[in-house]
Amino acid sequence: MIQLENISKRYPGGHDALKAVTFNVEPEEMVFVTGHSGAGKSTLFKLITLIERPTRGILQVNNKNCNKLPNWRIPYFRRDIGIIFQDHKLLLDRTVFDNVALPLVVSGLNHREIQRRVRASLDKVGLLNKEKLYPLTLSGGEQQRVGIARAVVNKPPLILADEPTGNLDEKLSDEIMDLFYDFHIHGVTVMIATHDLRQLKRLRKRVIQLAEGQLVYDSDNDNEYNTD
Amino acid sequence: MKNYFLRHFQTLFFSLGQLWSTPIATLMTVAVLAITLALPAGLFIVLENAQQASGAIEDSAQISVFLKKSVSESSAKSISQNLARHADIERTRYISAKEALAEFKKYSGFGDAIKAMKKNPLPAVIIVTPKQNAASPASLANLLATIKKNDRVELAQLDLKWVKRLSAFLVLAKRGVWLLAVLLGLGVVLTIGNTIRLAVTNRRSEIEITKLVGGTNAFIRRPFLYSGLIQGLLGSFGAWLLVQGGLLVIAEPMSQLTSLYASQLQIRGLDGSQTGLLLLIGASLGWLGSRLAVGRHLREINPT
Repeated sequence: MIQLENISKRYPGGHDALKAVTFNVEPEEMVFVTGHSGAGKSTLFKLITLIERPTRGILQVNNKNCNKLPNWRIPYFRRDIGIIFQDHKLLLDRTVFDNVALPLVVSGLNHREIQRRVRASLDKVGLLNKEKLYPLTLSGGEQQRVGIARAVVNKPPLILADEPTGNLDEKLSDEIMDLFYDFHIHGVTVMIATHDLRQLKRLRKRVIQLAEGQLVYDSDNDNEYNTD
Repeated sequence: MKNYFLRHFQTLFFSLGQLWSTPIATLMTVAVLAITLALPAGLFIVLENAQQASGAIEDSAQISVFLKKSVSESSAKSISQNLARHADIERTRYISAKEALAEFKKYSGFGDAIKAMKKNPLPAVIIVTPKQNAASPASLANLLATIKKNDRVELAQLDLKWVKRLSAFLVLAKRGVWLLAVLLGLGVVLTIGNTIRLAVTNRRSEIEITKLVGGTNAFIRRPFLYSGLIQGLLGSFGAWLLVQGGLLVIAEPMSQLTSLYASQLQIRGLDGSQTGLLLLIGASLGWLGSRLAVGRHLREINPT
């Protein structure tokens, strides 16, 4: 599903955010990416969603060669990835329904189909009765679940979540992570950036650790998790 | 295909809603556009009317013969009659000093000022209309020389001269208006561009999010383009109102002015095709300004 081969990213000014990172994520896999802030997690996500392009190396996502993908194809490429952000990135002047509908609206679906899919998606995250509310009237956990509903409304084969539980307490974090686990069980590839060690231990899935732009631990190959 | 039009229709209403939600800002922009567009459109239509008027005057070339103040009314009349018998002259019209004063009082608007004068400052005039076959510049010049020979004539003036000057001036003025129109058209593009730039900045996060969920640039551009188009259209409609309203206001004194020079002249406003052109130009400039601004600012917003 995701293949990185010697991926490096150097920003203007000479800062190396990623240095020759290589790993594969198989379809239907669930992977955690950990590391201190500044370790390269965010850069990794930006490269996979083509928000930025790698400086060197070969990147394949969803059987598409990202190095050769022209800019005008990027929107269509992104429709196959559900992206979830720590700060939700919801539109505050639109209702929950309209927020979740956005990926379908940009794909040009008809109204009836949009309604059907948005309701199904909101039902999945348990917010069906809140579709007419505005994001600011919701709690942090609910806002994050709206973000998840929006990410999965397209039924993408790949979900990327950047610190999805960053601002939530343990109980809410568990609920959100269980949602992702459920998508994984149903055949979706899930990649989550987090430094919530509790979740890593609880779900016992593959863990990739980055430090200073390099891959320092992969639970598939290494035994010792690097704790510092 | 049906879906495609439906989506455009939805975007159109979305843009209308956005404009409606900020009525004061929209009104201000539209007013600026209306004034910007009304200026060249108004000047254009005034020139059009003036050109029509000068054409009408040119057809009826006349020689104004101003008599010396010492000439009595009876001898003035006999001069007029003598002239009327000339082979190249169609007819003459005698206007006594009194009549000239009355006419001037009526049309000039200086009635009160003239009342204050003790003596009539105006001379008697004979208006000479040459025959059509004598209307060539050479024979008119000949005729003029003949009339000037009479020592009771103070001044004989061929009105064609200033008509020619006027029409030459109108050609120049028209050029000027075109130049002005191009500059102000650029102004419209910049005004819309700035408005749209603000709108793009205000909705920056929305644009970012739309890009992240797979919205194409065309999708993101569309509401802004409609917004520019609608504002341009409203602006040109406003300009139309200003021009037509302005013509109504000047119609009365203008027709009095023209009646002094030529036969009755109807002030013409913008006709159907000119109105259509004005609206088309406004809408296109609005679209263009919006397109330029959105294109530039979308590139600045990451992600691509």
